[in-house]
Amino acid sequence: MTRMAEASMLPVRQAFLIAYMTGVLWLQRNPMSLVFTAISPFSLLFVLFVISGGQYVEPAVAGSLVMALVGYGLALGQDISFYKTEYKVQDMFVASPVSPLTYMMGLALSELLFGLPALIALASLVLFFGASVFSIPLLAATILLVWGSMSAMGFFLSSHMLHMRNATQVISFVNVILAILPPVFYPITAVPVELQPLAYAVPTTHASLIIQYIMSGNAPEGWSLGFGFAVQIAYLIGFVALAKTKAIWREN
Amino acid sequence: MRTNFVLAIEAAGVTKIYKSARQAALSDVSLKVEAGRVFTLLGRNGAGKTTFVRMCATQLTPTAGSIRVLGHDVIREAKQIRELISVVPQEGRPLRALTSWDHVYNWLQIRGAGKQAAKEKTEEILRKLELYEARDRPAMNLSGGMKQKILVAMAMATDAQFLFLDEPTIGLDPVSRRQVWSAIKDWKNKGGSIMLTTHYMDEAEMLSDYVVIIDRGAVIAQGTIQELRRVIPQNIRVDIARDGLDVDALKPYGSVVDTGAGTLRVLTFESTVRELSELALRKNLTFTVSPITLDDVFVYLVGGGIGDDQNGRG
Repeated sequence: MTRMAEASMLPVRQAFLIAYMTGVLWLQRNPMSLVFTAISPFSLLFVLFVISGGQYVEPAVAGSLVMALVGYGLALGQDISFYKTEYKVQDMFVASPVSPLTYMMGLALSELLFGLPALIALASLVLFFGASVFSIPLLAATILLVWGSMSAMGFFLSSHMLHMRNATQVISFVNVILAILPPVFYPITAVPVELQPLAYAVPTTHASLIIQYIMSGNAPEGWSLGFGFAVQIAYLIGFVALAKTKAIWREN
Repeated sequence: MRTNFVLAIEAAGVTKIYKSARQAALSDVSLKVEAGRVFTLLGRNGAGKTTFVRMCATQLTPTAGSIRVLGHDVIREAKQIRELISVVPQEGRPLRALTSWDHVYNWLQIRGAGKQAAKEKTEEILRKLELYEARDRPAMNLSGGMKQKILVAMAMATDAQFLFLDEPTIGLDPVSRRQVWSAIKDWKNKGGSIMLTTHYMDEAEMLSDYVVIIDRGAVIAQGTIQELRRVIPQNIRVDIARDGLDVDALKPYGSVVDTGAGTLRVLTFESTVRELSELALRKNLTFTVSPITLDDVFVYLVGGGIGDDQNGRG
């Protein structure tokens, strides 16, 4: 490999090494954390499944998958806040050749690793409850888009927090805004017509609609798969741009 | 590692005012330090040392003024600086589940070292800092001193030309401190530059080529240890046990300082040492005679002990 090619690959290598340090090595020594992280996304699914007697399975599975992705993405913000304020490890990264986006990517990969069992289980449920094998690329794309945009948002938010507690509070709030209030766990038809444009402005609404579409083939009137992906891609670009240009790396 | 840059640090009119503060943490700081030297910042807690270190290490933006590190501007050329530096942050901690080997070996690879080079350098620095025997133990099972040495090892194992060590030996036992000192000296002997902040005067005296004393956000003295010693008119200090001794009785011999540890310190000249010794012997008091140290210079200039806090963010 030429020196130039090596240099261009360095950020990718750096991101994987950061993920290895903060994810793989941690899990090797604390395997139980994988179990704990994997269980939480199923709590609401379980409640909804029991209450509806299994009739409400599509929005419940779609909602649980989206909520898990939002959670794992935003958890990056908590990790970053922890590494910044408690360990001061981020200070070492700032004063090094590692770029903020590489650092973000490394920690986001690490979070993904923690969430992998739950994501695999939930994705399997999506396939089990009606999706065909051909919809796997659609499902994978949705997962990556939500994970990417939420990670970027988590990074942006946590970079502005001076204390660990602030980061936890803000991230919990955003979690509610993105995964509980919008029609992620329930059909968009349940939202009053005048509020539906607001619901469509939230990226997680589209993630849930895509997954429900994959499972049932049904889509709300006036909504299409292309529209759903377009909104999610726009949010991903927006959040990554926000993380790149407005996140605080060097403090002011 | 020998550096091609003449100046390690060139700061002009540097001021830092934090958003949450009314007062400047640093005010109009200007200094130049040659490359290849150990440059130490001394000051009480909150004097502005860490603020200056963090601005030089591209972690914090100055409010006014300019700083060049190894010839590069900290604002416009931060990327170039980050290729050349390595830091040990104040009060940093290693990740709990990771071993010393994990930290250093992976950190070197993150900074661009190949696997073999990273392995060799990791082994070398862990042996030097006596961490090698514990290389497989997670940081959470190590003592506070060993945890601190992991961060020092991470910074020192790199190919950086300039090390920023913000209180690197805090919490270390005397043996570990000397291991770090030895590593710092080795680094300097290879031509590297070091910016050090410390609360230990003996450490500063042992390692520094150049010392800057900061008080309340302003530089109040700078120079080599010898130059700073000349700030005090006297050149000898005599510590005498206080038991029943009248401070006024000592004043004719020089400046008298209460050390707070049951002794009075008289800063004086060689010519009066004999008289002072006889006085102490007559009263059956223990006493010691030694040259003026950096500690005396610091107290003389700042007027308090190094452990006393000032209002600020460090």
